[in-house]
Amino acid sequence: MKEIQRTIKYEADRVPGFGREVMSVPGCEKLKDCIQCGTCSGVCPLSIYMDHSPRQVMALVREDFKREVLSSCTIWLCASCYACTVECPQQIRITDIMYELKQRAIQEGFYPKRFPIPVLAQEFNRMVHDHGRISEGRLVTKLFLKTKPLEAAGMAGLGMRLMKTGRFSLKQENIRDRGDLARIMEAMDAPASGGNGKD
Amino acid sequence: MANGNGNNRTSPERRPRIGFYVCHCGVNIAGTVDCAEVARYVGTLPGVVLSRDYKYMCSDPGQELIQKDIAEYKLERVVVASCSPLLHEHTFRTAVEKGGLNPFFFHMVNIREHNSWVHTDRAEATAKARDLARAAIERVARHKPLETKRVPIKPVTLIVGGGIAGIHAALTLANAGKQVILVEREPTIGGHMAKFDKTFPTLDCAACILTPKMSAVGAHPNIRLLTYSEVVKVDGFVGNYKVTIRRKPRYIDEEKCVGCQDCISACVFKQPKFTDEFNEGLGKRKPVYIPFPQATPQVVAIDSNVCLNFRNGPDGSRVVSDKCKKTCVEACGDRNAIDFTQKERFEEIEVGTIIVATGFQAFDAKRLPAYGYGRYPNVFTALEVERMVNASGPTGGHVVLRDGKTEPKTVGIIHCVGSRDKKTNRWCSRVCCMYSMKLAHLIKEHTHAEVYNFYIDIRTPGKGYEEFYNQLLDEGVHFVRGRVGEVTDWAITPEEEGKLVIRVEDTLAGVVRRIPVDMVVLATGLEPRSDAQEVRRLFNMSCGSEGFFLERHPKLAPVSTFNDGVYIAGACQGPKDIPDTVAQAGAAAAEALSLIDKGYVEQEPNTAFVLEDECSGCKSCIPLCPYSAIQFDDARGKAVINEALCKGCGTCVGSCPSGSIVQNLFDDEEIFSEIEGVLAYE
Repeated sequence: MKEIQRTIKYEADRVPGFGREVMSVPGCEKLKDCIQCGTCSGVCPLSIYMDHSPRQVMALVREDFKREVLSSCTIWLCASCYACTVECPQQIRITDIMYELKQRAIQEGFYPKRFPIPVLAQEFNRMVHDHGRISEGRLVTKLFLKTKPLEAAGMAGLGMRLMKTGRFSLKQENIRDRGDLARIMEAMDAPASGGNGKD
Repeated sequence: MANGNGNNRTSPERRPRIGFYVCHCGVNIAGTVDCAEVARYVGTLPGVVLSRDYKYMCSDPGQELIQKDIAEYKLERVVVASCSPLLHEHTFRTAVEKGGLNPFFFHMVNIREHNSWVHTDRAEATAKARDLARAAIERVARHKPLETKRVPIKPVTLIVGGGIAGIHAALTLANAGKQVILVEREPTIGGHMAKFDKTFPTLDCAACILTPKMSAVGAHPNIRLLTYSEVVKVDGFVGNYKVTIRRKPRYIDEEKCVGCQDCISACVFKQPKFTDEFNEGLGKRKPVYIPFPQATPQVVAIDSNVCLNFRNGPDGSRVVSDKCKKTCVEACGDRNAIDFTQKERFEEIEVGTIIVATGFQAFDAKRLPAYGYGRYPNVFTALEVERMVNASGPTGGHVVLRDGKTEPKTVGIIHCVGSRDKKTNRWCSRVCCMYSMKLAHLIKEHTHAEVYNFYIDIRTPGKGYEEFYNQLLDEGVHFVRGRVGEVTDWAITPEEEGKLVIRVEDTLAGVVRRIPVDMVVLATGLEPRSDAQEVRRLFNMSCGSEGFFLERHPKLAPVSTFNDGVYIAGACQGPKDIPDTVAQAGAAAAEALSLIDKGYVEQEPNTAFVLEDECSGCKSCIPLCPYSAIQFDDARGKAVINEALCKGCGTCVGSCPSGSIVQNLFDDEEIFSEIEGVLAYE
């Protein structure tokens, strides 16, 4: 039998100020203008899989339902095709808002564990941050281990064979002067601004 | 007080006794400007014998205060610091005149629109108000007595546009016994309304209620109907406009044609072959045609672009070739109404007032490629469907797909096409919800199809409109709240094969849906006509940011424009439905009537005049005058300004190399003293 759950939202479910905070980020201001027409969901190629449609995400942000938004799979399914941003009659930069929400979800640890998209984003960022360069083999392996550890173990044999023939490498590539990069990254991370480039 | 400001200036021999009033305007001014301080300061200026602050100067007690003070304090000049002169200059001039002074011994200072409404710092706003008041005190002392002139009004009204607005305004004026000249660009009057089948919410037939009014216009002794004509030039001023009208050749003598249409059946083209504009391109017509059966005037027209009796001339225009057998002329016989020698003519008329009722154009649905108009044949615009449901339309009242025979089983009507969208038109077109529901009803009635309405919000704020919405819900029409993402022919499921699929979020159900339909109807919005800017310039009007003609005041002068004697009515002012259009047309006619029955207009005396002794006769002012008000007197070798035509713009004054043109109310002494007043810091 279908389990019956409470769906009502109380004032305590809101995080007052969350909507205002998101809408104060450059590029996200127009969210205030949303008329809830649903064009974004109508054009979104992935809206058919989303738990909340992009339109609902807009409404939830504006009404401060932080937990619901940040734990939604919608923001991670967004493939940034920008169709919604192009078609929105209020010219809301919906894709950019999705990016902002993804950042916040990672920073606050809200995202669904083992969900590959945020893990990939994080590992990608970490690799660029530390080494200045992406080593694909290493990145994919890390992603695999973190999201599907058991399946990854089963692929170990194939990986070894590929490595032997020189088609796959776990070697970490680096840029020449990593000291400079570290100083740049340090300077970027230093100010207490909200956006620290962890994407 | 630091009165070192005025000592080194040429002062009038004796300073007149000046009274100064500063208005609080409730909190509009007093909220930002310290009015008591302004009054105190101005009271210390030379010549000021009385300085007051008062809550509402424009109120009756405020005006009476001025009159009483003039007598009691023997005031000779009055300055009021309040709102824009646009609003109350006339009020105060009248008060000053009632007090026994020349009304031009008055000057008004705008400390509301130019000060309190645009500043936040109270100290600075107060200082600015002091400066502006000081400038006015300096200036008003040098004002000279002036007289307003009365100019008679020609009791003839020009109405531009023969849609329902123009028709209604014309009949209202003509029935009041006034002469009307109605100019229409197309070969017939009727406008958009003539194309409609039924009208919401009562569903009465558009032709049944419109055509009697059209024939009344055609037959009215007080209305001169000029169809197939356009206004090309407007000169003059309120009460005395000179208008040039281009009469395009229709190659038919309107006096002789009786509308028998024998020529149409006799035309060498046996079948109609050319796009019929009246039927939105769904039907065909011949080169000689009458737009629709009840056209007014009942006169045919010949389209020289497709008629075989014309060929391309050397400059691209169409010239008579005389190559056709001219079976039409034969059929016309002794009536001799067909005249291939007609040329474009220009006619000049003189009118006193003008009503502009040029209407709207429908949004071009091709601008929204996601909806597939022009790409998928079975995507229609609402006007096309409107013609199809009409019994005298191209399909004889059958709603069919583009193949001309298949009746649709499912129809999707998409609202807000080109409306409420910042990428196209931001405004709500006001009529689309209602006409979409009307079409939904009519389509269901004609075809028994399932009809879906896709809407953002249903807007039914009118008498009987919400009830009509309820009726539609009862009839089982589907309403899906969501703006359509796209229309596509890409089928995913078997039931979508061969259909158009509408992809939309059903925002109330909270799911994305794909709905296959046979026919898509786009409820296109209303927008300004593409030549609205040229028309605006022609009649010296303004346009709002959307491009519709701008009314003088959105609430209190909704049919007036900034050009006196020119009124606007109907959808050229903004999207509106038939009831609102007719109401506005009546209002515009009443405004014109009130001006005509008054008989005269008062002209501002701020005109320019030439100091004959100093004029060198260089003629540099003559081509610069935007109103052609300056003539050259050859006998005396001097420029002469026609006061009746002068609008007081000051262009000639600034351009005169010898400084021999002076403008009343703006002579050098007045302007320089005002400048010195505003710049004189303590």
